[in-house]
Amino acid sequence: MIHVRQLTKTYKEIQSGPFTALDGISFDAMPGQIYGLLGPNGAGKTTALRILSTVLKPTSGTAIVNGFDVNLAPEQVRRQIGFVSTNTAIYDRMTAWEMIYYFGQLYGMELDKLRKRMELLFERFQMNEIRNVLCSKMSTGMKQKVSIVRAMVHNPPVLIFDEATSGLDILVAREVLNTVEQLCDQGKCVIFSSHIMSEVKRLCDRIAVMNRGHILAEGTIEELAQEHQEQDLEELFYQMISKSEQQHEAVLQKA
Amino acid sequence: MKWQNVKLIFNRELRDQLRDRRTLFTVAIMPMVLYPLMGMAMLQVAQFMREYPTKIWVVGMENLPEHPSLFVDGQVNLEYVSETDQQLIDVQVFHHDAQTESVIRQLREQTDPTEGTGNVNELIQQEMQKRGVDVTVVIPAPITNPALPDRRSKNLDQSDDDSEQSAAVETQPYSNQTVYVFQNSASDKSRLGAERLNGGLMKWKIGMVRENLTANDVPISMVQGVTLTNADVADKSGKQAAAWSKILPFIIMIWSLTGAFYPAIDLCAGEKERGTFETLLSSPAARSEIAIGKLLTVISFSMATSLLNLLSMGFTGMFVVSRLGAGMPGGLPMGAPPLSCIGWLLLALIPISALFSAVALAAAAFARSSKEGQYYLVPLMMISMPLMMIPMLPAAELDLGTSLIPVSGLMLMLRGLIEGQYAQCIKFAGPVCGVTLVCCWLSIRWVVRQFNSETVLFRASERFGVGVWLKFIMQERHELPSLGNAMLCFVVILVAKFFIGFVVQTPDSFAMFTKQTVIILIATMAVPAVMMALVLTRNARKSLRLRSCTLPMASAAILAAIFLNPLFTWFAALVMQIYPPTGDLVMMEQTVSNILTSAPGLWAIILVFAAAPAVIEELAFRGFILSGLQSLRSKWQAILISAVLFGIAHGVIQQTLITTVVGFLLGIIAIQTRSIIPCMLFHLTHNSLAVLLSSAKASVVENSFLLRQLLHSTNGESYQYSIAPGILMSAIGVLLMAWFIRLDATPTMNRENAGLTRLIARMFPPKSQA
Repeated sequence: MIHVRQLTKTYKEIQSGPFTALDGISFDAMPGQIYGLLGPNGAGKTTALRILSTVLKPTSGTAIVNGFDVNLAPEQVRRQIGFVSTNTAIYDRMTAWEMIYYFGQLYGMELDKLRKRMELLFERFQMNEIRNVLCSKMSTGMKQKVSIVRAMVHNPPVLIFDEATSGLDILVAREVLNTVEQLCDQGKCVIFSSHIMSEVKRLCDRIAVMNRGHILAEGTIEELAQEHQEQDLEELFYQMISKSEQQHEAVLQKA
Repeated sequence: MKWQNVKLIFNRELRDQLRDRRTLFTVAIMPMVLYPLMGMAMLQVAQFMREYPTKIWVVGMENLPEHPSLFVDGQVNLEYVSETDQQLIDVQVFHHDAQTESVIRQLREQTDPTEGTGNVNELIQQEMQKRGVDVTVVIPAPITNPALPDRRSKNLDQSDDDSEQSAAVETQPYSNQTVYVFQNSASDKSRLGAERLNGGLMKWKIGMVRENLTANDVPISMVQGVTLTNADVADKSGKQAAAWSKILPFIIMIWSLTGAFYPAIDLCAGEKERGTFETLLSSPAARSEIAIGKLLTVISFSMATSLLNLLSMGFTGMFVVSRLGAGMPGGLPMGAPPLSCIGWLLLALIPISALFSAVALAAAAFARSSKEGQYYLVPLMMISMPLMMIPMLPAAELDLGTSLIPVSGLMLMLRGLIEGQYAQCIKFAGPVCGVTLVCCWLSIRWVVRQFNSETVLFRASERFGVGVWLKFIMQERHELPSLGNAMLCFVVILVAKFFIGFVVQTPDSFAMFTKQTVIILIATMAVPAVMMALVLTRNARKSLRLRSCTLPMASAAILAAIFLNPLFTWFAALVMQIYPPTGDLVMMEQTVSNILTSAPGLWAIILVFAAAPAVIEELAFRGFILSGLQSLRSKWQAILISAVLFGIAHGVIQQTLITTVVGFLLGIIAIQTRSIIPCMLFHLTHNSLAVLLSSAKASVVENSFLLRQLLHSTNGESYQYSIAPGILMSAIGVLLMAWFIRLDATPTMNRENAGLTRLIARMFPPKSQA
């Protein structure tokens, strides 16, 4: 469903010279599976997901999303995915209904189908009471709901959640996690990035631990636990990251 | 591009902007409130001018003659001012004190009133301030009615003068019979008061002269002389059109820019700030669709702002004019603008709004936040203001030069259309529309490019330091110059030429002329091109196309220049016929030809006119600039743009046209041969032939069989190509150019590179690496 191969992204920075945000990462995510990207801030998760959603272009390497190459057919790729991230806000001066209707139209949905789908989603997410409320008047949780419905409106085979629970209270966060689970059960391919262990542990079928643009380890949680002889995921994560940091510092000192 | 998506985005952005209070305020509310407020203020000022009472202080009232009397019962005589003015002029007389005495004394001593009153001005100003008066009138010496010498005894007024005064008149051949009116021009009230009073004083003076003449039995016609009458043949609508034609285009322009700017910031920088931009980018809409959708929204707001301002200003203006004009005979030279004028404005508004909107949107796309976006407004205004101001200059006229300036040309044409000079406008409609459309197209391309650029959309703030930045440029430079580098080089050349123009003196000898020409060429072209190639690119030699070429290429270039020469000569003659050289150019040519007579020989002229430009101009234009332009997708586009830039750099319109064509051929040769040498040879040959043809002497031509066939002279002085051989030559020239175009443009390994590769291969055989 999603095949990432040798994905690299470098930024030109005036101050510090070229900065490699992603250094040739590769992974595969399958339908009906939640694939977790786990890593500290600045690990390159957001860059990777931005490339998958074709907001950014890779410097080299490629990713195939549901059969479409991000380099060759970015528009087709965008039709295959629903993208929710901390950076995908909603329009302040639109109501929930208008916002989602607009995006449904951009996805090229027939208006009848779109309305039916929206009724269904508004019902399911209990959003009928905020239907005609301007987004600027909504709470953070409501906004996130609108964002998620916006990403789901065209019923995409792939959903990408980039730190989708950050800044939400426990109730809303749990609701988001439930939704993600349901989507997976419907056979969608879900990519879920987070730095919260409990979420990852609960949801993800496979995870990739990232730091400084590299994937340090990849596999199911059990596989990782066995490989590194550590049952506690948080401890495992901490060990991996600190080891990687030490290596990085050693390289820097040599240089 | 899917127009369905563009429409969707346009509709949403439009609705979004209409829901924004700030936008609505700047677009709709402000103009609707601003102009009526300004109109009211103007009416207030006018009312103040009409109703404000003036206090005048009269010093030496006793020196005024009793007849004709300027003042009656402490007020200005009704014979000289209107009743309202009489009411508004408050005449005050104070007791004389030391200051006033001093003023009177000083003024009395002045024998020539035209000397000015510098010595008492300060004193008077202090006194005026102290006494709170607006205008001071001083009559330092008694005013007497003069009489013809033999009739003095008959003069009634003179009879009751005391002996002392008549003695003073007699002893002074020129008596100081002056009425001084002191006003403070820094104060509006004072200026207004003096204006009111002066009219009355003038009438009083005339009345006095009239009475004097009658008293002395002199007919008034003796002093009347001839009457001068000015008549204005412009009809009322013409006058109105002239007034409107200057104001309205400016209003339209300035508001379409302002109206474009705020929505542009909100639609780009504002969305980035609110985080909705990425949402839109991750939707199926393509970047170009987003860009065009947003652009259309900005254009709509730009046009709406402009129109609302125009309407509001129009209505307010008409109201104010009718109120102000009511009191004036003949009314003000303004009324409703003619209907055709509104039509032209609406038509011009479309490209203007498109242009400004695209520029504003491209600038706004670069901004990270609304605040940063606001910073770009001032530079944008600074650039476009002069373009809008040029047409307001009284001497500015629509000609080929001005019609090629973006914005200005359109404004001038708009002015011409409003004034009804259709013939003049149609002549230049082509260039004006062409330039405007090209500008619109380029700016729209720029917007789409900005939206496609990650570095623009996801620009992170970084600490800036000049040193770090320079290091970054050095690190990031490519083998060949970029498009930006090329344009920078061109701008540097233009600016250097402009400044060197101030320093250059008119040469007086051939040596000085040579020195000047070469120094200018080196300083304005060679230095920028070579320096930039060295600093901004990794491979300066390749950037400047400094590589050898094959013998066939070199000879083909020389032959092409020779065979195409008749065609160029005819084209140049055609250009000169359409745009006859104007004063400056003729004078320049005159100076140059005078200097050339002192040249040591033909070889020297060829060296200065042909060899130096051939080498240096080619390095800059076919070398660095064309290399940069080659990063454009199409090589023909690169060649065309480099040719136009080459033309513009020549400055004078006639030369621009000719050199653009030459530049185009040189561009083809440069790209096809990938070497600068054939270009230099072509350029050298072309310029040399021009020198030779202009200095061809009858003795030389008539003695040569070939030249006799080729050239003919109509006046026995200058020679031209004969038609038949000229056409034959041109045909061969065209074939030679076709040969260049058909040259294989794929990289062919030249000899030295091949040798180098072989050498490297020998030094590092593949085995040793394994």
